[in-house]
Amino acid sequence: MLRTRLPVSLCHTSQRNPGIITSVLHIIAPHTRPRTVCRNASFTTEQQLEPTLAKPKEPPTSAYIHLPFCRKRCHYCDFPIVALGSTSSQPGYDNDPRISNYIQLLIREIKATKPESDSQPPLETVFFGGGTPSLVPPHLIASVLDALKSKMGLADEPEISIEMDPGTFDNVRLREILELGVNRVSLGVQSFQEELLRVCGRAHGLKEVYEAIEMVSSCEELENWSMDLISSLPHQTEKMWEESLKCTVDAAPTHVSVYDLQVEQGTKFAQLYTPGVFPLPTDVISADFYKMASKTLTEAGYNHYEISSYAKDAYQCKHNLTYWQNNKSFYGFGLGSASYTNGIRFSRPKRLKEYAEWVQRLEDGTVSYGTSDVEVKDMAMDVVMLSLRTARGLDLKEFGREFGWQLVGTLCEAFRPFVDRGLVVPLDRDRRVLSGDDFEFGKGGTAYFVRLSDPDGFLLSNELISVAFGVISP
Amino acid sequence: MATTSASCSLSPLLYPNSHSLSRRSKARFSTILLGQLPLIPNQSISPIWRCPRGKISSVRAVTDAGPATVDPGQERLSKVPISNIRNFSIIAHIDHGKSTLADKLLQLSGTVPKREMKEQFLDNMDLERERGITIKLQAARMRHVVNKEPYCLNLIDTPGHVDFSYEVSRSLAACEGALLVVDASQGVEAQTLANVYLALENDLEIIPVLNKIDLPGADPDRVSREIEEVIGLDCSNAIHCSAKEGIGISEILDAIVANVPPPKDTASLPLRALIFDSYYDPYRGVIVYFRVVDGTIRKGDKVHFMASEKDYFADEIGVMSPNQIEVNELYAGEVGYLSASIRSVADARVGDTITLFNRKAESSLPGYAEATPVVFCGLFPIDADQFLDLRDSLEKLQLNDAALKFEPENSTAMGFGFRCGFLGLLHMEIVQERLEREYNLNLITTAPSVVYKVNCSNGETIEISNPSLLPEPGKLKSIEEPYVRVEMLTPKDYIGALMELGQDRRGIFKEMNFITEYRASIIYELPLAEMVGDFFDQLKSRSKGYASMEYSLIGYRESNLVKLDVQINGEPVEPLATIVHRDKAYSVGRALTQKLKELIPRQLFKVPIQACIGSKVIASESLSAIRKDVLAKCYGGDISRKKKLLKKQAEGKKRMKAIGKVDVPQEAFMAVLKLEKEVI
Repeated sequence: MLRTRLPVSLCHTSQRNPGIITSVLHIIAPHTRPRTVCRNASFTTEQQLEPTLAKPKEPPTSAYIHLPFCRKRCHYCDFPIVALGSTSSQPGYDNDPRISNYIQLLIREIKATKPESDSQPPLETVFFGGGTPSLVPPHLIASVLDALKSKMGLADEPEISIEMDPGTFDNVRLREILELGVNRVSLGVQSFQEELLRVCGRAHGLKEVYEAIEMVSSCEELENWSMDLISSLPHQTEKMWEESLKCTVDAAPTHVSVYDLQVEQGTKFAQLYTPGVFPLPTDVISADFYKMASKTLTEAGYNHYEISSYAKDAYQCKHNLTYWQNNKSFYGFGLGSASYTNGIRFSRPKRLKEYAEWVQRLEDGTVSYGTSDVEVKDMAMDVVMLSLRTARGLDLKEFGREFGWQLVGTLCEAFRPFVDRGLVVPLDRDRRVLSGDDFEFGKGGTAYFVRLSDPDGFLLSNELISVAFGVISP
Repeated sequence: MATTSASCSLSPLLYPNSHSLSRRSKARFSTILLGQLPLIPNQSISPIWRCPRGKISSVRAVTDAGPATVDPGQERLSKVPISNIRNFSIIAHIDHGKSTLADKLLQLSGTVPKREMKEQFLDNMDLERERGITIKLQAARMRHVVNKEPYCLNLIDTPGHVDFSYEVSRSLAACEGALLVVDASQGVEAQTLANVYLALENDLEIIPVLNKIDLPGADPDRVSREIEEVIGLDCSNAIHCSAKEGIGISEILDAIVANVPPPKDTASLPLRALIFDSYYDPYRGVIVYFRVVDGTIRKGDKVHFMASEKDYFADEIGVMSPNQIEVNELYAGEVGYLSASIRSVADARVGDTITLFNRKAESSLPGYAEATPVVFCGLFPIDADQFLDLRDSLEKLQLNDAALKFEPENSTAMGFGFRCGFLGLLHMEIVQERLEREYNLNLITTAPSVVYKVNCSNGETIEISNPSLLPEPGKLKSIEEPYVRVEMLTPKDYIGALMELGQDRRGIFKEMNFITEYRASIIYELPLAEMVGDFFDQLKSRSKGYASMEYSLIGYRESNLVKLDVQINGEPVEPLATIVHRDKAYSVGRALTQKLKELIPRQLFKVPIQACIGSKVIASESLSAIRKDVLAKCYGGDISRKKKLLKKQAEGKKRMKAIGKVDVPQEAFMAVLKLEKEVI
């Protein structure tokens, strides 16, 4: 429970009518007492009321670019995409005006965006996500990069990632893209079973998967590439998943992302299936899939550095780490993309027409990203929610300095039972695991970090993070 | 307009909403001038009659300021000799048209102007109107002229439902006569009988009225025979009426004047007035309704409440007509109200006798037997912060509802609340609904239980109404439970179905009589606990709505009862404990554990859910642990949606009650408690 200063309004009430509060205390049992009194209390000490503290201190050095085009929508997908439909020739979309028009719009947005400060540092990471960015002709990607370069500048050795799908590129195309400066490819394989690719409604088959892997892994100019997999697909068996993991290890990417299927509202899967009910695997089996991935990939030399991300040493995705660590700010450009600038999280319109209108208003200077009065509580929730996704975990000292030591104390108390159950792991300054008994916190405590265990804690991350939310916003 | 101004000077009394006089009222003013003049200076009116939340002040302002328009019904206040007073009530089975008839009587006697008339005029609680039932007794003074002789008729309305029979007996004690209203197509029903017996106990003159004769199914002759056979009441002069159509209403008024005896003329004796109801008005304190039995009470008198031995000055006395209208004096035989800035309802209890401080009566009137609650349940606020509000609200309700009993109760799962006693299930439901509706509280109710007598092995006998307080089996010799005698009246087609119901509920068949060729009365003795579920609903559904019932407590009997505990993860959950007959324990236990399994969200560990008798587990379910609860991807840094989901999850946790290590949502308690009501 938070034992911090009562908000002013509550203090007034108690002065005006002291009898009320006293009688509450008489009747409510001791263990519930703090809750009754502190229900409306927030940890808004004077220091934390300072709004600048609620904002990231540095201007963004990362940019996410959304390229929404796909040949068709996959059955699990609820992202803002534009399905182009089939064409007769490959690569058949290079002269598609829908793409070039969109890129023009995107560039207009980049140009109209005001840099956060006068001293905009050059971008360290750029991420082309989608959609299927590999459908966009390289010269158009080049024009986007040029716009970014002239607006924000690019660091000496930036990480520039692009998502590519099997069947949308050949060796020539791959090299063209790499020549633009792109140095990280994320390959959307999803599965190594023909039948599962079909169930997912993917626009490619297994043959294209192997061809793509061959091209990417044999490309000497490309050192850093990632592979995406989805677990808990309909009809997926343990054997299939084992096979997919083995094929992944054999392909030896530097990075692997493993996503546990979420049946999102409005998708074809949501129409067809109920989570936990055949042909979807039960919770127990899908938890096993998660554990299998963790075990297999860890044994193959990958670090499980985030709930759904694995990387060989030094190949963690720098761009994604900006989301998860230290609550860093980032730019987002394009349809439906999210940005976090000036302390404001903002999502762009998800429909093309509305996005176009929004860009127009941005150029006219009539766009508001919303208010910058982000509640300190919400900041604390963001930090907890994002950092607990990572193996690094929550930096307790930094969190305490930012949000108050009392909050760290109550948070750790709330986590203590889960430490005993092996779901939460406290770590000291040198990242040595502390036992539950040594788990001391606060300014001078031995605990410096707290993280969720792999795989059990990660598997129950929602439960554990919502416990923390309950502490932050009682 | 001469009459108008004349009467104005006599009594500047006005109806707050009436700004013009109807022709009819002018005509009636002449009657006043002929009759005795009312002696009522300085009146004020409270149109907010029996409405504790109303604002009186604004109305007073109207009274003071308004140019005198005249109350068209004011002649009701005129004094009549005691021999011209008639105090009566209406008794009937529920839905036989009692409230409609009361409406028509008020209307025809000019007590309530047509324009202000609304259905169920005396049922002014929202709940009463919605459910079409009367909960609180009400009173109204009317005037009726027979042979140019003005009579003062006091109607004391009564509730019809069996749960509220204590209200009925209170109003009957303040009367000399009663209208027995029977539906001309349905005939005598169980509550007709019960209320008639109450009236006979009070030596009341009973006037039979056959209502709804306009309906196609009406058969007044058959029903007359039925009344004669079953009750033994001469129906040769029974009045045929239709309250809805206004047929026979004036005949009823005439019959009241002709047949109901006037009160005894005891105005010269020391004052004795019987309090038959009271309520709390936030602006004026406790308002007491009484019937003057002996003597006279005047405004300003110092009165003495004989039981509470408290003294007050009668700041205001008046009559209900049906709005409160102040008068100067009330004498033997009259019915009125009293306001004396009484702060505590305990000072002026229903059943107490009012006398004068300076001229005390020698003995008090026989009061009422205190209503004993027979059904109990725990009431807990969903939000722990509402505990104090709940206490205040219960106290306020009690002012208006003497039969409601409550005491604080503490439960690990539900926090702080109250164990409340009620007269029956409908009473319980009404109180819950009033708390939620009128006082804006969100409540959880535990399963209703009855009062058990527990004979301990050390020879002691204790009474418990809360199952969790039952002594351990080792210290227990036997448990006795209250039994009731149930009389069911039914068309003969449903006799079989109702006997089956009686058997299912551990009933002992006593007798069956055909009251007419087609209708029978079945009498069972069964445990009250078996009635306290859905017995009435079952009765109605098994008889397609035709059967009616009435019950009365007949005492305690030993039964093979056991306490059924529910354990979640090994922790007993007190509010879910129940006392059941051993034969039913298994099925109840199974139903409870299954329901809980459905309702408790899975936890991070396996949770056994058990129903036990003592240490013996009789039903068991188990909730498997959550295996996976992970959001795979925060796509493109767009965390808002995931955050919303997590916040929702965190909110859900807050609404849970911790039973040991297990978080149980409040909804689970509510659903299980509801289930208990159904299966037990």
